[in-house]
Amino acid sequence: MYKAEVRGPLILGNKDYGQITRDIIAPIDNKTPGWWKVAMAVSITLASIGIFSLYYTVRYGLGTWAVNNSVAWGWEIINFVWWIGIGHAGTAFSIFLLILRQKWRTSINRAAEAMTVFAVMCAAIFPAIHMGRVWLAFYIFPYPNTRGPLWVNFNSPLFWDFIAISAYLLISASFWYFGMVPDFASIRDKAKTKAKKAIYGMLAFGWTGSTKEWLRYEGLSYVLGGIAAVLVVSVHSIVSTDFASSVIPGWHTTLFPPYFVVGAIFSGFAMVMTLMIVIRKYYHLEDYVTDSHLNAIAKILVFISLIMGTAYTTEVFMAWYSGNPYEMFTFFHNRLTGEYSFMFWAMVICNAVIPQVMWSKKVRSNITALFIISLIINLGMWYERFNIVVTSLSKDYLPSSWTSYSPTWVEIGIYIGTIGIFTIGVLFFFRFIPMIAISEVKSVLKPTEISEKH
Amino acid sequence: MNTTHIIGVFDSKSDLLAGIESANSKNITIDEIYTPYPVMEAIDALGRKSRFTTAAFIYGFAAVVGVLSFLYYTSVIDWPINYGGKPTNAFPSFIIITLVLTILSITILSLFTFSVRAKIYPGKKFILPDERSTDDKFIILFDKKTAGAGFEAISAALKANGASEVYEKEV
Repeated sequence: MYKAEVRGPLILGNKDYGQITRDIIAPIDNKTPGWWKVAMAVSITLASIGIFSLYYTVRYGLGTWAVNNSVAWGWEIINFVWWIGIGHAGTAFSIFLLILRQKWRTSINRAAEAMTVFAVMCAAIFPAIHMGRVWLAFYIFPYPNTRGPLWVNFNSPLFWDFIAISAYLLISASFWYFGMVPDFASIRDKAKTKAKKAIYGMLAFGWTGSTKEWLRYEGLSYVLGGIAAVLVVSVHSIVSTDFASSVIPGWHTTLFPPYFVVGAIFSGFAMVMTLMIVIRKYYHLEDYVTDSHLNAIAKILVFISLIMGTAYTTEVFMAWYSGNPYEMFTFFHNRLTGEYSFMFWAMVICNAVIPQVMWSKKVRSNITALFIISLIINLGMWYERFNIVVTSLSKDYLPSSWTSYSPTWVEIGIYIGTIGIFTIGVLFFFRFIPMIAISEVKSVLKPTEISEKH
Repeated sequence: MNTTHIIGVFDSKSDLLAGIESANSKNITIDEIYTPYPVMEAIDALGRKSRFTTAAFIYGFAAVVGVLSFLYYTSVIDWPINYGGKPTNAFPSFIIITLVLTILSITILSLFTFSVRAKIYPGKKFILPDERSTDDKFIILFDKKTAGAGFEAISAALKANGASEVYEKEV
């Protein structure tokens, strides 16, 4: 029979099971590295700027932002969609690759899921604070209340969004946590101090690794994997309906749901690449996150980049082909050219052009190049959201209400703050949680063991 | 109550499977198997079956009916609102919330089912016969009373099939 080696070994260095446990829990056992403390100090500073900006917004109201009657959605919604997009890939990564039985996911899914949880938490801040009176945010819950038996509008995409994001956060967090239970048990049983044994023992929920537990665990992960795959597609489709169900030129298009889902996976995979390069470099986990893993992510990014390029072209083509003068104006006079053309071309270059260099194997095996490209993609995805939100809103049907938009320091501060909150979360994850799924990596250590035996 | 157990320790999955096979062929009853990662062959060898997917389907079905009924109640019976003349029973736009809430319900109920059926919950007092089974060893546990063979016989059968250690322990 024809035999081809599709992928090299998933884990390098001829490890045994015990070595895997030791390698992966080493960052938890070792002393906190100096770079971690510096990074944490920077993150706390950034988060403090954000918290002050949030305080300032709540104290003085939305007038401290540059949003106005026309551009009612500014940086807040741009950043919301950007964070949700990044958060998307974590679950997409684990779930799609789990369903497709891609074993190389095992080294990466834990970090990707962690990223999801922190990114979605950052994303959730924006719609809440954008409501103006954040302390009344609970009004969006559909509950029988004393304000008269008035229910929320179940037909509103904004409400769908609220439901979708709350569900997504809850499901991603549970999926992530239950994936960690067997690993917490491994740490518990290797712990040298009583405190560590008690803490990780509590987190491990009494896990022993018996067949009874593994059977249900596998059942649970496939059920959650199967249904969360639907959720991954639906959540960002719903985010896109916030735009697509309006009548604003540049938004009102059927392309939006797939365009948003693919874009989200694109930015998320880029962020996974950024994180994995950091993990591998600073924690010396090169044997687990191998060049072959990064190569696989790079190939996916090249492919998605082509889809993004196609989506951008389709939008422009449809604006022309539809013959709709408002669409024509938005795309040809307010995106390709005009006040915000820099954002449009930056988006195209960062998302559709630069990632194409990853066709070259030389680039795919150059870690520095991959790191830079992954950051460029995330920058490009931010430009994309700016392009969608601001250009369409700033100049719509009524020229008398045309306006420009540039953010105030408060809006910039909140964005910087979310970056700080995200990195604080990621740093805690690096320090206290096994960054690679120990039990899953063990299961792919010797995939050919049985067939060799028989 | 503690009972005496015989514990067979294996270094690899293939040795474990050979050990299980030899125990089965000699009609020795295995009490439980502990592994550092899921070994489906070991689960099958103990004849364990899960009805998780059936349970999840039932949860999903109940959630679809429940959410649609709730939306119908709030939008049509309790407080119908006229949104630009659209029908109050706006079924197609109910589908999105139904889908998301169904997924959420399946997740929460599945987690609860997992916790109950696998007996995994915070603060659980657990018995782990050999701590190395969450690290690098594969463990077969025999209850001395119900195994159907003595220590010597079990030890010989397991060691002949790659067990690195066999010992007795009160568990």
